[in-house]
Amino acid sequence: MENTPLTGESKTSSPEARKNAHLPGELPGQKPSPEAQNRRPILEIKALNKQFDNFTAVNNVDLTLYEGEIFALLGSSGCGKSTLLRMLAGFEKPTSGSILLDGKELTGIPPYKRPVNMMFQSYALFPYMTVKQNIAFGLKQSKLPSKLIEERVDKMLHLVHMEEYIDRKPYQLSGGQRQRVALARSLAKEPRVLLLDEPMGALDKKLREQMRLELVDIINSVGVTCLMVTHDQEEAMTMADRIAIMDKGDFIQIGGPREIYENPNCRFCAEFIGSVNIFDCHLLSSNAQQSLIKATDFNNLIELSHDIDLADGMPLTIALRPEKVYISHKKPLEETNWCEGVVENIAYLGDISIYYVRLTDGRIVSSTLPNVDRFKEGLPTWDDHVYLSWDPESCIALTF
Amino acid sequence: MSTGFSSNMTFIRRSFQRQNKVIKEAKHDNTWRDYALIFVPYLWMILFFLLPFLIIFKISLSVTEIAIPPYSPLVTFEEGAMQIILHLENYTSIFTDPDGTYIRSYLKSLQVAGLSTIFCLLIGFPIAWALATAKPALRNVMFMLIIMPSWTSLVVRIYAWMTIMKKDGLINDCLMALGIIDSPIQMLQTDFAVYVGIVYCYLPYMVLPLFSSLMKVDYSLIEAAYDLGCRPVKTFFNTLIPQTKSGIVAGSMLVFIPALGEYVIPELLGGKSSILIGRILWQEFFNNRDWPLASAVAITMLMILVIPIILFYKVERREQEKINAGK
Repeated sequence: MENTPLTGESKTSSPEARKNAHLPGELPGQKPSPEAQNRRPILEIKALNKQFDNFTAVNNVDLTLYEGEIFALLGSSGCGKSTLLRMLAGFEKPTSGSILLDGKELTGIPPYKRPVNMMFQSYALFPYMTVKQNIAFGLKQSKLPSKLIEERVDKMLHLVHMEEYIDRKPYQLSGGQRQRVALARSLAKEPRVLLLDEPMGALDKKLREQMRLELVDIINSVGVTCLMVTHDQEEAMTMADRIAIMDKGDFIQIGGPREIYENPNCRFCAEFIGSVNIFDCHLLSSNAQQSLIKATDFNNLIELSHDIDLADGMPLTIALRPEKVYISHKKPLEETNWCEGVVENIAYLGDISIYYVRLTDGRIVSSTLPNVDRFKEGLPTWDDHVYLSWDPESCIALTF
Repeated sequence: MSTGFSSNMTFIRRSFQRQNKVIKEAKHDNTWRDYALIFVPYLWMILFFLLPFLIIFKISLSVTEIAIPPYSPLVTFEEGAMQIILHLENYTSIFTDPDGTYIRSYLKSLQVAGLSTIFCLLIGFPIAWALATAKPALRNVMFMLIIMPSWTSLVVRIYAWMTIMKKDGLINDCLMALGIIDSPIQMLQTDFAVYVGIVYCYLPYMVLPLFSSLMKVDYSLIEAAYDLGCRPVKTFFNTLIPQTKSGIVAGSMLVFIPALGEYVIPELLGGKSSILIGRILWQEFFNNRDWPLASAVAITMLMILVIPIILFYKVERREQEKINAGK
């Protein structure tokens, strides 16, 4: 692995160059972009910057949220995603930049005057209040008539299916029930934008999977625009319409779940989302029909069926998802897009098996196989000599 | 080598199991050792609290006599008959005193203790807040500043206040020099000086419980209240006060209870006109040598304190049980 500078390069390169780096073309099964749907922008973040002492938490980011979409900020801890969310809620003051909600400047407005509500990671339910009082709390602050508050609370309780628990205190509820109450409380004031801070962070794994789609259903039925923060890529991919991958205060890539998985624009994104085999390569030749690439780890060439905008001989990275790598005992007929090795390890995960194949030069490549047939025979096993192959479309050429 | 290792492991496992067993047994029924341990503090309380209390109570049911000790015996034997005479007139005289001295001094004491508690709370809350939100290094310094004065004698500190507040003391000198006043203000021998003294002396007892409950505050609740449109002042009452309730109550009790019977501070700083219950006790015991009446005054004061405390603890325990049941 000699081209570590590639990731270093991604930091210095301009965002424009990165945006154009990935492959063009619409992906099947991909929702059309909000711009294409003619949706109205609701929240505009412009050159937003947040500095803590000597540390840049959020680095001049721009983002537009469109009416009714669920947008996820995805990144590892310390990438600035929570700071960004807290700036939108009003708990942190931006160092510079602006936040426009429906065209009106939001920076400088205290949190209690913003038409934005947040569901906290810990839920932050008031422990000394009942479910009903918790949900009514925000409505009471805006001094609505009590009859209207009553109606709205009932509506919210119905929405999250918590009618029976109206008089319970938070400590009498389970984790999932608390989350519903927290959601109802943050939706009760009909915010322009709903902020979710690690919405599933406090739930166990089983409940998490169940609540994801339920939460999306509730949010969609209300039609509220939603910005969520998460470090869990599965959560972001199942819940969000669009995802921004954040690292060190920057947006690395913004796109739909399918787009960021299938067309990552840089090595960081490819490695961050899902698992991937990364090959260090250089370009031999490229024209409109095909590009030929030489990988350092195996002899056969990699062939792509499209043009790469790079001078011949330049280094690049090829990313290959394990599920797109075929594993077989038979030698492929083609001359390109395959390599050979020995099965070093097999991880049986139930639904799939992951094969770790050691290439002749020592490099390990992973390939996944769905376990469709219960008693299928002839599958490669430990120490088998196998051939790994892939389709030309499966390769992702990354220049950053 | 390998057998030695495995036998070692077996030994460790066995001794571990044995230990587990002991712990389980201890949980199920108390051994004599547990009782012995509990007995020590109980013995202390019986010897130095319950017994003296009963003696005082006994004295309060007698009448004065010129004798040693200066009160009538509770139990007498006359011609083979045992007589127990319970004199209640001490208690009735407290309430039927024609001048109303006792009632007035009780009310005055309640007023002084109550107001001092409120002042301590108002001053102590911001201090405790500053402590709870300070950086650890600064917090230690602040702690020292709060606690260090109480390492010196109470009387010394009160005398210091006397020199500060007297006619040619620090405050009057400063105000005169600045031209704010023409003639010195009478501060000593006023209620003002008593409040200053009590609040000053008891402030740490308010700050420390408040601080410890502020340290446990869930700050996300404050943000949640803001987020839901609650303004800062209302947020304080809606989120901070309920969460620090236990600290407020504990601190208030630590101030109110000793302040109610305070003797030294009002004696040194207060005027002759404001007679608090502490001075009444002193006068009855030492000047009038009326031990029974003095005891009755003391018992009555204890009742004034104990009844609300018991009620409060009952309510508090019920709340706590509810929360524990939920967990």
